Amino acid sequence: MAPVWTIVALVVLGLLVAWTAWTLSRLRRLEGRVDRARTALETQLRRRAALAAEVAGRYATALEPERAARLTRAAAGARLPWTPDRELAENVLGRELRGLPRDVPGLEPALAADLAGTAQRVALARRFYNDAVRDTRELRGRRFARVLRLHARRPLPRYFDIDDSYGELAGTAGTGGS
Amino acid sequence: MRIGLVCPYRWDRPGGVQYHVRDLAETLRGLGHHVEVLTPAEHEESLPAEHVTFAGRTVPIPYNGSMASVQFGPISAARVRRWLREGHFDVVHVHDPAPPSIGLLVLIIAKGPIVATFHAATVRSKWLAVWGPVVRPWLERISGRIAVSDFARRLQVEHLGGDAVIIPNGVHVRVFAEGPELPGRARGAGGPTVGFLGRYDEPRKGLPVLLEAMRDVVRRHPTARLLIAGRGDPDGLRTAIGPELQPHVELLGELTEADKAAFLRSVDVYCAPNLLGESFGIILIEALAAGAPIVASDLDAFAAVLEDGEVGVLVRRGDARALAAALGELLADPDRRADLSARGREVAWGYDWSVVARQVLAVYETVVVPGSGAVTATDDDADVLAVSADDGPGHPPRRRRVRR
Repeated sequence: MAPVWTIVALVVLGLLVAWTAWTLSRLRRLEGRVDRARTALETQLRRRAALAAEVAGRYATALEPERAARLTRAAAGARLPWTPDRELAENVLGRELRGLPRDVPGLEPALAADLAGTAQRVALARRFYNDAVRDTRELRGRRFARVLRLHARRPLPRYFDIDDSYGELAGTAGTGGS
Repeated sequence: MRIGLVCPYRWDRPGGVQYHVRDLAETLRGLGHHVEVLTPAEHEESLPAEHVTFAGRTVPIPYNGSMASVQFGPISAARVRRWLREGHFDVVHVHDPAPPSIGLLVLIIAKGPIVATFHAATVRSKWLAVWGPVVRPWLERISGRIAVSDFARRLQVEHLGGDAVIIPNGVHVRVFAEGPELPGRARGAGGPTVGFLGRYDEPRKGLPVLLEAMRDVVRRHPTARLLIAGRGDPDGLRTAIGPELQPHVELLGELTEADKAAFLRSVDVYCAPNLLGESFGIILIEALAAGAPIVASDLDAFAAVLEDGEVGVLVRRGDARALAAALGELLADPDRRADLSARGREVAWGYDWSVVARQVLAVYETVVVPGSGAVTATDDDADVLAVSADDGPGHPPRRRRVRR
């Protein structure tokens, strides 16, 4: 009987090794995707902050001075590292931008279009980032992945939750981790 | 930007996804981008000479309520790999990637930014529930997912994992908005007309409900006529119409694209009595663009397009009496028709390809991270999957065959 059990054990071991290897390659690829998505989101957020600062600087008189000062502060605040504070700061900036009057006198159409386009891209980039995070967390949360401690030492990527409500493109609710 | 579009359905067969890919490619080219399409076809000769690459023939199987084109194997894989290598795309955009088709092959082989659009025609979630987990590891490679409707998005979230942004199907609004009407059937001339378009012998299109409603409508509007366009069995339909309704019904048969636009410009009311399973309802957008007032059943997809009844009349699905009442009222009220027509034309512009393609471009620009390089192909057979955890550049990675 011994050889039969040896063969069974070897097959099981073989399957386990194959599955582990396959999962590790998936995790590695997901890690890359999360990194790229984060870079994309960071790029769009910085761009948004830069545009906000430009609007606040160049059109301070057309805006009320108080509003312009708030916008400058918000834009400067949105430069934190990737922490919950960053989400708060981006929310403040988002609120200020949404609160801008519909037509700031003298605002260049190109700049206005840039602002709108960036708001749209922030929403897209955030959705894609959270999507990558969700896929990673889902795979890392599998029982086998937890028991075998695959990628267990690496920090679990965090969702990035801000209110980027922007018209029709934003679809419905953002993350809802599963 | 260099863009590679992948259409998994046969190019020389009519179909929503094929038209979508064709129109998207044209519009993006018009915006100055380089666009290549990879698609299967029945006859290689039927493909356009330029910018469309033949990916082989397919075996049709029923999938998700329609026919999917199954295509797998080393020859298809080699074609996909060559297309990816020669294309040097900044981004590859796969349509309906879940079925076992070249869309999925591209996901398996390509390395780099991938965008995917989920079209999902009808719900056959049993199929998806089984198949979803199998393909999930490859769907994970998609950087940006697009769904054409909230319905398609829900299907995707439930069965395939991951969220998607909603970008609707596009329509060439101008094609429908401007042009001649059907000869002798101009809108407003003669008796009022109600239009129906679709495969009329498919029960889910709901024609029987409309026929029953028409019996009431002609009592109120004795000159009213129903124009039926589309494919189907005319003899069976004549029996369903019956002798008393016969003088009020006209069969137009299958229409060309140009005639379809003329048809929508001619009818006084367009009726979509569908009972179930429309993911998007592009025909409603086309009718809106043509300025046809719409009475439609209250499917989610239709309610979304008609903005919950703001730009068209919604009636409970399958309710012939409610449909008859809605049609009768609308035919009796030219002011309301004019109002709906004007509002509809305005709404339709939001679905024009010029708008939709820019939204798709915004997705491309979001997933293409500067400096990350173009899309390439992995350098082994399609069914060979990378196994080793850290392939260093320079030494060939260890690989292992995994059959699926």
